[in-house]
Amino acid sequence: METEWNNFGALNFPEDHPARDLQDTFFVEGGSLLRTHTSPVQIRAMTGRTPPFRFVVPGRVYRNDLDATHYPMFHQIEGFCVGEAVSFADLKGTLYAFARRLFGEDTKLRFRAHFFPFTEPSAEMDVTWRGGWLEWGGCGMIHPRVLLNCGIDPQRWQGFAFGMGLDRPALLRFGIPNIQLLFDGDLRVLEQLS
Amino acid sequence: MRVPLGWLAEWIELPPALDELVDRLTAAGLEVEEILRTGPDLSGLTIGQVLERRAHPDADRLSVCRVDVGAAEPLEIVCGAPNVAAGQKVAVAVVGAELPNGLRIKQSKIRGVLSDGMICSTRELGLGEEAGGILVLDAAAQVGARLTTVIPAGETVLDVEITPNRGDWVSLLGMAREVRASFSGTLRLPECAPPESGAPAAEAVRVGVEDRTGCARYAGRVLRGIRVGPSPGWLVERIEAAGFRSVNNVVDVTNFVMLEFGQPLHAFDLGRIRGRQVRVRAADSGEKIRTLDGHLRELLQSDLVIADAEGAIAVAGVMGGADSEVTETTREILIESAYFDPPRVRRTARRLGLASDASYRFERGVDPEGQVRAADRAARLIREVAGGEVAPGVVLAEGDPVPLADAIRLAPERVNRMLGTAFAPGEVEALLARVEVEATLTAEGTLVCRPPRYRPDLRIEADLVEEVARIHGYDRIPNTLPEGAISGVSLPPGRETREAVRSALVGAGFTELMTLPFVGSEDADALRLAPDDVRRRAVRLVNPIQAERPWLRTQLVASLLRSARANRVRQVDELRAFELARVFRAVAPGALPDEPTQAVALIGRGSAKRLWGGDPPPVFFEAKGAAERVLAEVGVRTSFRGGDVEPFLHPGAAGEFRVGKSRVAAVGELHPECALRFELEGPLALLTFDVDALARAGRAARRFREVSRFPAVERDLALLLGRDSAAGELADAIREAGGESLQSVRVFDRFAGPGVPEGKVSVAYRLVFQRLDRTLTEPEVSEALARVLALLARRFGAELREQQKGGGS
Repeated sequence: METEWNNFGALNFPEDHPARDLQDTFFVEGGSLLRTHTSPVQIRAMTGRTPPFRFVVPGRVYRNDLDATHYPMFHQIEGFCVGEAVSFADLKGTLYAFARRLFGEDTKLRFRAHFFPFTEPSAEMDVTWRGGWLEWGGCGMIHPRVLLNCGIDPQRWQGFAFGMGLDRPALLRFGIPNIQLLFDGDLRVLEQLS
Repeated sequence: MRVPLGWLAEWIELPPALDELVDRLTAAGLEVEEILRTGPDLSGLTIGQVLERRAHPDADRLSVCRVDVGAAEPLEIVCGAPNVAAGQKVAVAVVGAELPNGLRIKQSKIRGVLSDGMICSTRELGLGEEAGGILVLDAAAQVGARLTTVIPAGETVLDVEITPNRGDWVSLLGMAREVRASFSGTLRLPECAPPESGAPAAEAVRVGVEDRTGCARYAGRVLRGIRVGPSPGWLVERIEAAGFRSVNNVVDVTNFVMLEFGQPLHAFDLGRIRGRQVRVRAADSGEKIRTLDGHLRELLQSDLVIADAEGAIAVAGVMGGADSEVTETTREILIESAYFDPPRVRRTARRLGLASDASYRFERGVDPEGQVRAADRAARLIREVAGGEVAPGVVLAEGDPVPLADAIRLAPERVNRMLGTAFAPGEVEALLARVEVEATLTAEGTLVCRPPRYRPDLRIEADLVEEVARIHGYDRIPNTLPEGAISGVSLPPGRETREAVRSALVGAGFTELMTLPFVGSEDADALRLAPDDVRRRAVRLVNPIQAERPWLRTQLVASLLRSARANRVRQVDELRAFELARVFRAVAPGALPDEPTQAVALIGRGSAKRLWGGDPPPVFFEAKGAAERVLAEVGVRTSFRGGDVEPFLHPGAAGEFRVGKSRVAAVGELHPECALRFELEGPLALLTFDVDALARAGRAARRFREVSRFPAVERDLALLLGRDSAAGELADAIREAGGESLQSVRVFDRFAGPGVPEGKVSVAYRLVFQRLDRTLTEPEVSEALARVLALLARRFGAELREQQKGGGS
């Protein structure tokens, strides 16, 4: 569970802006919510800390969405790195290094311009997968307002952040057709994965 | 948004290869999600004329035709259709052409005659079923021309995802600008100014903006004497290709122009506007309006409406009202083209559950300068398709203007530091110019930038850095690694323990489950929780995905039992599964809940009889053994006490593991009432772990202990005890009495039978003594053993059966 501020406000989601529609949120009586992404950990980790620092955060997230490729609960991994000269080029290089360790040495990445309220510039990235492109996650340079919201001076410090889903690569790797099978508790399925 | 490519090509020259366009738009942030077609692709086919038909020498049903396709020599084509005849104009697929079904035509020999192509039927063209042979074209069709000159070609349509920051992209104009930024070229804007005649528009209607923050500009055009009816084919084709339904010529034009310029328009039946007066104002509280979809809507003061002299006639930016709708009898219309406050439109649209194509665009922000142009364009087109005359002049009312953004100062070295690039100032300027950002280089080397007004998303330096990167291409930015060494990697508290519990459970043969945390309210009772149990304090979701499961779970036991039941239904008999997750317990209203991490494992034995090996030991012992193994692997030293520890466990077959005074784990057979509630038959035991408590205990236990240089002394004690003595409590007592030189205690044998009195059991312990500072003396060890035996005798009535020096005994 997370506060609305950490999940949206501090991450520069304006109120009454269609950016909030990007994520179907589960709200709790009293205004808290089930976090829709791991990015609020940026706020928790950066507030009160002085750069330089690097974080990696895996975690469970929730969105009010249910079909063959969407499940109300899934997993993300978030990474962020802040320093005096941490650049978009560093972001690309880091993700390349990560992708090659995870998917193999000849893996290629594609970065597409995108929009996230909490990064600017923002990108979505695709990874080569069986002859095509597989959408892998989002990334970008941490928005100056997010740094400011954490008490970090964006004139001096800058950094990147990335986040990707963990479930989809797992489905592909094991050839599981439907994400629901991961969370259905069916031992006939799960025992195959151990 | 759906973008018909033929339509876009009228606005700007497109690159010849579709892939190139799709890849570039996608890289620039306009992700092409799907490429659709409105009809078969006939671009590879040619119009031909049959000059001569003669019988095939070897086949009765075939004929050989000489066909003129505009080339120097006519082609010889073998044809099987009965209706082919000299003089016909036909659709020809020459050698190398591709049919809509993907078939590529090759030169081939048919029953000994060489055929240079194919005369096509409607089925082969993808235009319908066979109708007795080849398709015969209109006699006026031009030989040698493309088939698409006489048959509507069908369009390629890109389905593009628009990010919420780019209201300007939701139009052909926006797409065309993006194509220009990537490939250069010149925009070809359509003619907008309408020919005017008759009395001035200002005499037909008065407009006024009363809610000045809600509406920056309200522009109107008036048409008289129009005929509302079906739209012409070209208009229907265009808007249908873009995913809109054709309504009538007036409504279709307003949608067409919205697609062109991104400016939503609304047409009112001017004859039904009371008082010939239009006011943009806040709704009265409780004011009602019947919207175009037929629903009666009640409004709040925060909503913005378009009203006539008597009441609301439209919900501004969201949907028009039924009472002023354009119908077949409408002769006189007012076209509305306005700028409404984006958050205002969004709030109303959301509250009313009315997301329209108009509200979608207003929410994202339309071009604050595009109102008059769009009204003009619509007036011009309506006059073309519905007749009538356009009244001279635009009726216009202004509210508070959309503020002009401050110029943005951008230092080129800042761009380079942010991106890891090495652009010269001129390069940055040139890249920005491609998206119509005017940049001037000051003497100090800073660029002073003014974005175009249709780009409200460009407000700060970082926004411009993104534009530079985007237009340059993200893939052309170098790949480097952050400088600086990483010092002091640390894990958050608890993480290590969590992974240790997980891997220990997996090692013990349990399969991990992950299930949704959403539950109904019945779990607390089903687990027999007491009224004041903390696990009754659940957090409730406002918008659950299933109405009957609005609560977040406070424990994992019920979920695991339900999973067990579901697996039994699927005929999985032997169960060994666990779940490890945070649970949610309400603390105070508005505060974030407590989220302890728990692990619960389950062993369920199937009903199938074992073929060999006799009866297995009770499932409780198996569960307890597994729990001990997990705790040992986590590295926590615990003591066990049997008893009634959890309401959902069998009071006679359960117990808890403690570190000091606090419970870190519990184990036991499922309470029979719970077994009934969860419909679980057969022996079934649960293991629960308080992962947070284990983390606290585990940290202490794993602290480094100095190793002694001096020899250890081992002593084995065989004790006669009552059969119900708890081995854990005995070990605790031995440690208590053994003193600081006692390093470890463990049970290595347990025996009842010959030689052991009735009702007693013999339990053997191995004690290890050692000191860090010196070698222990024999009297010291003997004295410690005497203390141990005395305490055990006093507390448990233990008798010494045998004592030995340890090590190989």
